[in-house]
Amino acid sequence: MARRRVGSRLVLYGLVAGITLWLIGPFVWLFVTSISYQRNLLARPLSLIPPEVTFDNYRMVLGLVRFHAEGQASKIIPAMVNSVVVGGLVTVLNLVIGTTAGYAYARYRFPFKTFSLFALLFTRMLPTVVLIPAFFLMLRAMGLQNTLSGLIVAYCSFTLPFTVWIMKAYFETVPAELDKSALVDGCNRLQAYYRVVLPVSGPGLVAAGAFTFMLCWNEFIVAQVLNTKPGTTTLPPVIAGMNGQINIDYSVIAASGFLGALPAVLLVLFFQKYMVQGLTAGSIKG
Amino acid sequence: MPLRLSEGWFAFALVLPALLGIFVVVLFPLAYSLWLSFTDVNLLRATGPAIELFGVRVPLFRWVGLQNYARIFDDPLYWSSLWRTLYFVGAFVLEATLMGLGMALVLNERFAGRPLMRSLLLIPWSLSRVVVGLLWVGILDFEFGALNGLLHNWGLIDRSIAFFKEGFTALNVLVSVYMWNQAPFATLLFLAGMQSVPEDLYSAAEVDGAGYWQRFRFVTLPALRPILFLVLVLATVNGFLMLDLIYVLTMGGPANETTTISWLGFQTAFAFFKFGPGTAILYTLTALCLLVTIVYQRLILGRFEPER
Repeated sequence: MARRRVGSRLVLYGLVAGITLWLIGPFVWLFVTSISYQRNLLARPLSLIPPEVTFDNYRMVLGLVRFHAEGQASKIIPAMVNSVVVGGLVTVLNLVIGTTAGYAYARYRFPFKTFSLFALLFTRMLPTVVLIPAFFLMLRAMGLQNTLSGLIVAYCSFTLPFTVWIMKAYFETVPAELDKSALVDGCNRLQAYYRVVLPVSGPGLVAAGAFTFMLCWNEFIVAQVLNTKPGTTTLPPVIAGMNGQINIDYSVIAASGFLGALPAVLLVLFFQKYMVQGLTAGSIKG
Repeated sequence: MPLRLSEGWFAFALVLPALLGIFVVVLFPLAYSLWLSFTDVNLLRATGPAIELFGVRVPLFRWVGLQNYARIFDDPLYWSSLWRTLYFVGAFVLEATLMGLGMALVLNERFAGRPLMRSLLLIPWSLSRVVVGLLWVGILDFEFGALNGLLHNWGLIDRSIAFFKEGFTALNVLVSVYMWNQAPFATLLFLAGMQSVPEDLYSAAEVDGAGYWQRFRFVTLPALRPILFLVLVLATVNGFLMLDLIYVLTMGGPANETTTISWLGFQTAFAFFKFGPGTAILYTLTALCLLVTIVYQRLILGRFEPER
């Protein structure tokens, strides 16, 4: 029995090691390539530990040194700024509008409740790409093509239903007695919401906010189609554009990819406890 | 407060901004796209019929009935893309579910460093698909790919493997790369489900002499059924919609052999600027997703939220 225990522990730790390698190996390799010279990636036999470490790739994509493809690479910083602006504003909009709606869905009965909930579920399952032709023509008609405002409007289409859903699930875990006692203490319904319930809803807001920002930061197709003018787009289209250029070394593209990935990864790792709770609650309840 | 609202209308007022927002950014564009799929869209023509909405002139173009749909259904590429999409979705659902469940079973065991592993699960899932594609290029590329390098180091190959040269191989690579990105989320859902199984069910099963697999078969699996449904449906919809990885890794090639319905629609609309047929293709994709949503509604909401 004891020997079997030891054996199964070994199998378990072997599997855990395998999963660890599978989950982070590719991402670690992206970092390794980003601090390597292309010639060392092409060398056979390949050395997994880079024989020479360099930060030239980062200097190139950040525009600190001149090189032959600096035209493409120099777009990284402005694109990052655009990504922050779009992601930040969409997150704020979502938290203000979506949270209130989520609260009402969790607490009250009202006209069209079931119908609008079904509509929300439906929009969550909708392919965003089918909306892009409409956004393209609508934003062009409004003169918002190639603007960040246009992207912000378009991004709400896939984030808002999620935020409402996550916040609804979160508010369902906040005891309803809290609102009731606030009402008894003389608050009106609105005050009960923003003076009593909202202040204890930090974890839910963090989950929904971090998730929304991550979705916007990572979005590629919508930005690629709607904002084609140089300098108006976000980070993913710029990285994908560099990937399509044969005259740029992979190690340089890897540096831009790693820079692009880092904020979302850090955000998710930092808020992971809340995000996992919020997302699993939001999904399991429907 | 001068104006006293009844409870129902107060709640409705709270929901109204979100519903208006969703109407403007989802339902109206959805209807407009549907309309576009029945018209002859010409992006260069500024005149023609239009509707005025809040001072914005939204063009309506010329109605051509089912012509766009007839055109796409006549195209053999549409049908080959559809079958390829079904293969892609089937393979992806299978891989993502099995891998997701497998990782959850391991990570649900007791071992040192378990909380750390849960954080690591979030890394592949939190990356932009552009970066996901990019980092797998670094591993699978013919010239500088690390996998080719390692296989070469170990003397397993003489010549590098071209993972994206042959259509069917490339399609399966796409499936696996997407699985790498998505399976961790399934694992999170499965883990949440496993945690809700009462510990004494396992002890009781153990007393009855059930081994590991029997406990999995008769205790864990039945408890995970609702989550299993959810994972299957989410994976199905996500499989139908996958687009960005194709853009970064294969561009639908070689020779259209990794072209799925979503890629075909995307290309038709935004590479060739044929909005009419493009939206028609994307609408058939929407119909497929809607079908899955109805199944989802029936199987999950219908069963687990009847009292609300």
